Amino acid sequence: MFTFIARRFAAMIFVLTSISILVFFIFFATPGVDPAARIAGRNADQQTLLQVRHSFELDKPLPFRYISMMRHLFVERDLTSYVNRGAKVIPQLSQAIPATFSLVIGAAILWLFAGIFFGVLAASSKRKWIDPTISFLGIVGISLPVYWLGEVVNLITQSKLHHSVFRWVPPLGYVGLSDNPWQWFLHLIFPWLTLAVLYAGIYVRVLRNEIMVVMGEDYIKTERAKGASEKRILYKHATRMSLMTIVSLFGLDFGALVGGYALLTEVVFGIQGVGKLTFDSLQNFDLPVIMATVMYSSFFVVFMNALVDVLYAVLDPRVRRA
Amino acid sequence: MHRHTKVLSSVMGVAALLVSALVGTSSASAASGALAPYDAKHAGGTVTLVAQAAAGTLDPKVNYTAEYWQLYQATYDGLLTFSYGTGATTFQVVPDLAEALPTSSNGGKTLTFKLRTGIKFSDGKPVTVADVKASFERIFKVSSPTAGSFYNGIVGADVCLKTPTTCKLDKGVVVNAATNSVVINLVAADETILSKLAVPHAVINPASAPSKDAGTTIIPTTGAYMYKSYDPNKSLVMVRNPYYKEWSHAAQPQGYPDQILYKFGITPTAQVTAVENNQANWAYDPIPADRLNEIGTKYASQVHVNPLTAMWYLPMNVNIAPFNNLKARQAVNYAIDRAAMVKIFGGTQLAGPVCSFLPPNFPGHVDYCGYTKGATPAKPATAWAAPDLALAKSLVKASGTAGQAVGIVVSDDDVNKQMGVYLQSVLTSIGYKATVKPISGNIQFTYIQNSKNKVQISVTQWYQDYPAASDFLDVLLGCASFTPNSDSSINMSGYCNKALDAKMATAKTLGLTDPAAANKMWGAIDQQVMADAPVAVVFTPKQLDFISSGSKNYLFSLQYKMFVDQLQVK
Repeated sequence: MFTFIARRFAAMIFVLTSISILVFFIFFATPGVDPAARIAGRNADQQTLLQVRHSFELDKPLPFRYISMMRHLFVERDLTSYVNRGAKVIPQLSQAIPATFSLVIGAAILWLFAGIFFGVLAASSKRKWIDPTISFLGIVGISLPVYWLGEVVNLITQSKLHHSVFRWVPPLGYVGLSDNPWQWFLHLIFPWLTLAVLYAGIYVRVLRNEIMVVMGEDYIKTERAKGASEKRILYKHATRMSLMTIVSLFGLDFGALVGGYALLTEVVFGIQGVGKLTFDSLQNFDLPVIMATVMYSSFFVVFMNALVDVLYAVLDPRVRRA
Repeated sequence: MHRHTKVLSSVMGVAALLVSALVGTSSASAASGALAPYDAKHAGGTVTLVAQAAAGTLDPKVNYTAEYWQLYQATYDGLLTFSYGTGATTFQVVPDLAEALPTSSNGGKTLTFKLRTGIKFSDGKPVTVADVKASFERIFKVSSPTAGSFYNGIVGADVCLKTPTTCKLDKGVVVNAATNSVVINLVAADETILSKLAVPHAVINPASAPSKDAGTTIIPTTGAYMYKSYDPNKSLVMVRNPYYKEWSHAAQPQGYPDQILYKFGITPTAQVTAVENNQANWAYDPIPADRLNEIGTKYASQVHVNPLTAMWYLPMNVNIAPFNNLKARQAVNYAIDRAAMVKIFGGTQLAGPVCSFLPPNFPGHVDYCGYTKGATPAKPATAWAAPDLALAKSLVKASGTAGQAVGIVVSDDDVNKQMGVYLQSVLTSIGYKATVKPISGNIQFTYIQNSKNKVQISVTQWYQDYPAASDFLDVLLGCASFTPNSDSSINMSGYCNKALDAKMATAKTLGLTDPAAANKMWGAIDQQVMADAPVAVVFTPKQLDFISSGSKNYLFSLQYKMFVDQLQVK
């Protein structure tokens, strides 16, 4: 087990290092990207340009700059932005993380509940119309692009019906949980619902299909032959086995969302999360922030993958022995 | 100043809609006048402003954006400043921390000020002449963008530019604590020095302010407001400065709101909604085209349109083919349908076609157009009327450049891309093989400046720093503004005309003694430059401000746009 974790850790460092090198060199290989003139300001004098180049170490060779940037990011932890001069990158990131977590965890609870409830319902219902209806709604959920749905939700809650039904909806943005829990909740209701719709749609369909497949397996037939009740078969065996797929799916989705995939939802609802930070820094060509957010999100993807492996072992005894 | 419109997000090209929609809006090109007396019963409340993104460092000596220069007026003060008021008054330089405009001696090379007494920074410390001297040295220590272009004329500035960390202006800025006097010595007289001393880069900071870019840390202010907190990803909060007492109603008047809250990270369309819902008082970013009709009809009384002293123009590289040929450049000038470009930008309510270099309402501007149907640079019409494609085609033929490849470099937002596509069709129709090269708006401005990138023609903008013809003609087309292979070479055409440079120098000298005659000369230089056609000027934009129904006392400054601190919410 120890060697397994050690190997896993070494692989993680390798992946993160490779990604950071790629990001760094692709950035500086882009034509016209030299940040010196943009940092120096419009129509800056040539000497001013030289001073800026020097103070941001842009006159040093690339490998030196890479190492210096990594040192400022991980060791001294004082890396500053190219665009918002003086703004330290790590506090920006650590302030964005709670917003993203609030959004993603809330939405995840919604879509897991909805996904599992409707998935099981669709797979087990005796009534003929329930399964196709749920499947159809799932497809609709998957097909609605989140940025479009978000804008429509905004149009209704902030504009068209803002003065009647949705008077209680606060303006777009994010309020910290510790600042005001009620406002935190109100600000996040629609972002949660919007983000959850897509994933609930996916999970419903995946879980339903999985249960259907498992129900055809031999060991289910054996259970039936042994006289187990349909309820017991459905919950104890079929659903539990099917949850394996959901867990691995959830691990990847959650890791990606926390790592910045919630970007579109964050941009549409004005939530200053990690995705929005990445988006803004990409638009501004702000390499220090890009580097920090890329490191952060790739860490989550790698980390969640490892976590999924452990959860596999918990759910499936065969993995434990393997 | 180049104002980069970060997100001209949705297509502004629903011109027709807008034209009909905005008829009857309060076009506030107000008569010039002084600021009305303070009305204490409207004081209080919070003014909320919304923007897509923050504008970077809060340091007034480094920040060079329209977004924050607008705020500095209510927070920081220089020896001089631009006046509060209405109309042309807002272009006037008035004494601020100085008691009066300086007395000039030694042929304009020595300016003597007397610092007001009794003014305090927002941390309670008094403003002294030592702070004044330190502030001028700080311009160089923090590598202010304009250190080499605005303040290089101060005695000792040359050394400071080379070795900023040890900058000392002992001879350039001579202060006397006993008499509270400040003497600024210049290497040569400068007719625009008063304006340069009035812009935010010359404000007075405490001598203890950091000797590098302060970034997001807050420097104490002298004005009616101070900064309480700043997070570029969230918000900027301004509150009343407890040590402020009004000393000049024109320079730094008392403001109305108790707090000014600037929220960042709101998309342009959400900004409009927030203003409609009274959740915000004003939106910073340009209004998306699909919302223009709505605000023009339902909220017409809350819309204010004002002319800007700025231009959108196409620099043409005079050092490489095909635009190293005068006839080719003139052909482009004749061929462009400026009305079509205005339409793409949002219609006649948002811009007006021009072909002179100096924008309307600007010192030295003359109403003329040498590149409209039936006119020539030698016999100009008074205004642009229509393109002359036939003449343009024959000029291209005569130039021998027909059939050559031309790349048009534009920003990648919708408006600029549409302009690029339109220009491609025009250049193709007069005989070139034109292609559009859209690149990220954040690097386009520096990319087109670098001669290494061999940009032939591009679309860009220039917004004034201060009202002086030299800020357009000399800054953008002077020989000194062209540095080959540099990202900071604002003369994008690479145009250098020694004879015109000499004339501009003469006009600057004349401006010291006879500004009216100098402006006449600038007007003539404008026409001579445009006869050479290193650029094609396309239109002059207007500012469209949308304020909430709960906001009153909208006042517009030609220099810094809406006076944020004069907005009343009570």
